[in-house]
Amino acid sequence: MDAEMEDAGAQAEIERGGGGGGADAVLGLAGGGAPVSLCYHQAFGPHDDLVLLEAADDLLPDLLQGRVTVRGRPEEEAVLCTPSATYSMKFVGTSNSMFLIPPGEPSAKCLRPDSTNGDANAVAATIKLAPGSIELVRTAPRLDKLRSLLRERPYILDEVLGNDFQHMKGLYTWQDLCKLIQASDGELLDGLNTLSAVEIDGFWRTVDANSVNTILDMILHNSVLHDWPLNAMPENDVLSVMESDGFTHKIVTHCLNRFGTKVEQESRSFWNLDEKRVCLQFAQRALGAGKMKLANFMDKWERSIPSGMRADLQMLEGEVLCEKLGAETWVHAFSVADLPLTPADRFAALFREQPKWEWKDLQPYIRDLRLPGVSSEGLLIKYTRRTQPSAEAEPIFTAR
Amino acid sequence: MQIRVQCGCGESSCPEWAVVELQGVAGYTFTVGYHELAGTKVTLKKPLLVLRKKKTNADCGEHEPPEVELEVIGIIRHKILFKDRPKALISKLPTKEKKTVQPAAK
Repeated sequence: MDAEMEDAGAQAEIERGGGGGGADAVLGLAGGGAPVSLCYHQAFGPHDDLVLLEAADDLLPDLLQGRVTVRGRPEEEAVLCTPSATYSMKFVGTSNSMFLIPPGEPSAKCLRPDSTNGDANAVAATIKLAPGSIELVRTAPRLDKLRSLLRERPYILDEVLGNDFQHMKGLYTWQDLCKLIQASDGELLDGLNTLSAVEIDGFWRTVDANSVNTILDMILHNSVLHDWPLNAMPENDVLSVMESDGFTHKIVTHCLNRFGTKVEQESRSFWNLDEKRVCLQFAQRALGAGKMKLANFMDKWERSIPSGMRADLQMLEGEVLCEKLGAETWVHAFSVADLPLTPADRFAALFREQPKWEWKDLQPYIRDLRLPGVSSEGLLIKYTRRTQPSAEAEPIFTAR
Repeated sequence: MQIRVQCGCGESSCPEWAVVELQGVAGYTFTVGYHELAGTKVTLKKPLLVLRKKKTNADCGEHEPPEVELEVIGIIRHKILFKDRPKALISKLPTKEKKTVQPAAK
């Protein structure tokens, strides 16, 4: 059974796809045909370099056209990535005996258990007893690591990068990220967008919050000086004025993207600053790291935002939490962007922050969680306990 | 690290492999040859790709892990499945045949 016959010639044939196994003869068997003898190929053996991968039909085009990679560090469980999706790879063993028969004209020589030559009518040969196959299951991209890598060294205005290897520490190119992060190209790009990362000099970077504030302040300052309406700032003017103030096109465009949307009008580009995103940035700045009384915070926030914009507490969903302490309401920063991305860890972090959540408070902190095949209701059932004191009362969610 | 899955054969002409599957470890039943199994040709719900691991820089330095590539060398869409108990043959058979696949009754 475990005859290990290494035959260089036969091995090469298998590699070329002309395995000399006669698979066609076996597959072509139908009622009434002549019998087909099956024997061990002279190269029958463990062939550990051959693996079987189970792939649904919709995955075949990507697999057969070289658009698929396997990603992960040696200590991680490997995932398979198409251009847009990530799949976990699980080896599933079988207790059945699965004899693999390669295609191609069967070779004359066959191996028999008694080591005598096969007879003339042997027309199919098996080269391996497959122990099982790899199954693919759609999975969420593993992006927690992306966030921690990109936070190692945020971009700071006026930074000077050296050229030697030590200075490249904490900097990652697209190729580096493809090797380190278990996500498809599409999901990786989405993840970089969610982190507001930008590619600077070939490295993907997050931008330091103080630097973002400086650039935003400068854009707003110039908008007053040059009478640019905040809903239609002329791109060319903004870029050239900001450049003369010492800010590169790249970083200014990044900030415009972060706080606004581009509008094309009469072959010119304008930027419309988004009230909510700009106000949120100012709220984070006003609040800092500590707790504030709501009234004090609102006062500080409203005085800081650009004129013409209106601050609204609703803008701070998923960023700021209110807390009633006696007669006073206090606020503190609690950003969804800092919470873990896997559902179990996310809910654990939420319930560490406060043991009870109302739906309207909880929803902004879990709406970005996406798990293939699981609805948000499914997540709630799995990780929370829902109580409703009376039919009219708001449901309360606690840890399960 | 990143392992590329390559395919030289192209989508339309990927060589098709076959599988003969026996329930249980029953390979030797054929060797004896006193038993007959009835099998059926089954189309796999999901095809199986035959991949081959290939090291592309075998003689690189010690510190670099070898670059590995996975090459698609075939596809399996059908298998001949023998899942029933073997039927004892009453008449004595010549013990020549190791395994004989009889045409499946359609």
